[in-house]
Amino acid sequence: MIKEILKNLLTKKSAIPFPEDFKGNNEMLEIISSKKKIETGFKRSIKIRQVDSGSCNACEWECTALSNPIYDIQRFGIDFTASPRHADILLVTGPVSRQMELALRKTYLAMPEPKLVVACGDCAIDGGIYKGSYAVTNGAANVIPVDCCIKGCPPSPSDIIQALKKLLDALADNKAQIK
Amino acid sequence: MDKILAKAKRTKEYLNEYYIEIKKNDFKEVCSYLSHDKNAILRMMFGTDEREIDGTFKIYSVFTIYGNERFFIIYFSLTEEDNAFPSITHDIPAAHWYEREIKDMLGLIPDGHPDTRSLVFHDAFPKDSYPLRKDWNISDADLEEWGKGIAKKRPYNFMEVKGEGIYEIPVGPVHAGIIEPGHFRFSAVGETIFFLESRLFYTHKGTEKHFEKLGFTEGVKLAERISGTSSYSYSCAYCMAVERMTGAEITEKAKAVRTLLIELERLYNHIGDIGNMCAGTGLQVGYAKGAAIKESLMQLNERLTGSRYLRGVNIIGGVNKDILLCKDDIFSTLSMAIKKYKELMKLLLGTVSHVERLENTGRLSKEIAQKLGVTGVAARASGIEDDLRKTHPHLLYERLAFEEHVMSKGDVLARMMIRAEEAECSISIISSLLENKYKGDPAVQPNNIPGYSSALGFAETPHGSLFFWIKADKNGRPLRVKFRSPSFCNWPAVPFAVHGNIVPDFPLCNKSFNLSYSGCDM
Repeated sequence: MIKEILKNLLTKKSAIPFPEDFKGNNEMLEIISSKKKIETGFKRSIKIRQVDSGSCNACEWECTALSNPIYDIQRFGIDFTASPRHADILLVTGPVSRQMELALRKTYLAMPEPKLVVACGDCAIDGGIYKGSYAVTNGAANVIPVDCCIKGCPPSPSDIIQALKKLLDALADNKAQIK
Repeated sequence: MDKILAKAKRTKEYLNEYYIEIKKNDFKEVCSYLSHDKNAILRMMFGTDEREIDGTFKIYSVFTIYGNERFFIIYFSLTEEDNAFPSITHDIPAAHWYEREIKDMLGLIPDGHPDTRSLVFHDAFPKDSYPLRKDWNISDADLEEWGKGIAKKRPYNFMEVKGEGIYEIPVGPVHAGIIEPGHFRFSAVGETIFFLESRLFYTHKGTEKHFEKLGFTEGVKLAERISGTSSYSYSCAYCMAVERMTGAEITEKAKAVRTLLIELERLYNHIGDIGNMCAGTGLQVGYAKGAAIKESLMQLNERLTGSRYLRGVNIIGGVNKDILLCKDDIFSTLSMAIKKYKELMKLLLGTVSHVERLENTGRLSKEIAQKLGVTGVAARASGIEDDLRKTHPHLLYERLAFEEHVMSKGDVLARMMIRAEEAECSISIISSLLENKYKGDPAVQPNNIPGYSSALGFAETPHGSLFFWIKADKNGRPLRVKFRSPSFCNWPAVPFAVHGNIVPDFPLCNKSFNLSYSGCDM
């Protein structure tokens, strides 16, 4: 029994490895603005409330994949929460359809300060392929103030982790006071 | 069939599409004859604005008869003044949502429809505003109002169940987990769901209208982004419709690549879904194992195509990558995946608490499934043999020998077992595809699109049958792109499946159907 446990502790090799390009690229993350709230800091632990504002569901599956045994985002102190009342970050996916605009705004207002908004995926940034359709508002920034963007259609889980980790580091070091 | 042809004003045959024009007043009788005497399935129903051609609107309905590879496309004209047509919902319940959609998007009135509420548009969308009409315009002020939900121009009344001890539970559109938006209203007695009404279309992005703006080549990208997890099936069906319009035939090699990738898509979806159902019963180990296998398959997708969702491979005229060259990678990943998948199934079926939750939960009877035109895994679990790969062999399916899996019980367990069997079937299809060599280039140069041509495209997605119907205008640009996702006809069946179950089992039922909101909401 003890031997078994020791063996498990010593072998760190997982059957399904991280994708090779896990290092990601620095262009993935774009911090747009940051307000005074950074001074309080998030102390390296954040809770995310995800809102699908009309995406095609690919971004959601990538967010779901963050909690699988390969990416296991909890080990970075990041977790998804069910209620906006418990959340530090609002992660928006989708081009914000007009029928979801009100729900998104209400979710944002329900979150306590300090709060950050991350637009995840090309659709959430500027409408993506749906830009110009009558039923979308062309991105989350047209509905609520967005602090940070993660590019990609959809951004892969490693991109999302990379971006969130960077945002977290920046917050902890108080370096995020761009603009 | 002679009975219908006697009533026909005009008929046209194109590939396996049989267009029959009838008079408006014969519509009800013809549909009733097809559906009851011929046992035909209503595949889709939609309206088009063809006023630039002959000054009329047209209503098309597509039927298939079991054992017949033809699509019977019945259509008739309506004018702007005389814009009502006889509703067939009482006779064929499957037409329920299609007719409401035609009314919302084109302003053509289904006469005698039991439900006059708006389906697609929510409260503040202006009344008498029909996006699919060519002369439609909306003011910015109206759009703003719509988004903020200020003016209640289309008030929506939920159905109410009254009685002692009945209470309502509203859920959504923002849910507790990471899922798509939709509103559900349960009328419950104690813990038991007495009645469920779902209000969807929160993710309505005006996709069909947007296709008209983008043009055919760009349209492939949009087709890939209609429903994320079946991106590849959507682009296949879309490309197929456009290719059929031009009269081009793709090469054997392109067909082989498409068949391979569409099966890979089915595989990762089915295994992921089986894992997800464990989240519904709280079996975390099953959920984690399923997610890990799914992840390894998605990483394979990324290595093969550069996209985890198999995007960017299909082009009109074929594919832009010869995936068959990566044989070894596919073999080694699949052999590992199948080993792990077998372990997972052994674990799931050996866990009594898991199986007991699935058994007899969320039962959908064959009768209701047939009436509502349910498709895909849900239909096959309820005993309906409906698989486009068998009934309308396309791509290379004609050459491949595989079984159609059907079960009769229609509960959550049956839907899980269908997925399990189909996943194994997909693996064997992929291996047999890789054993052969195929002729031709990956892609051919597509011909120009003839003016006013139209064609159907279809594919069997992991969730069920998918149809595209595309018509070009005189310059060869899209005049109308209509798609019918499998979710569109499966959603109305969910309230029937959960009736009599307890509220905590709803997520489990919902996961067993695993329907796409974005695909349904157009």
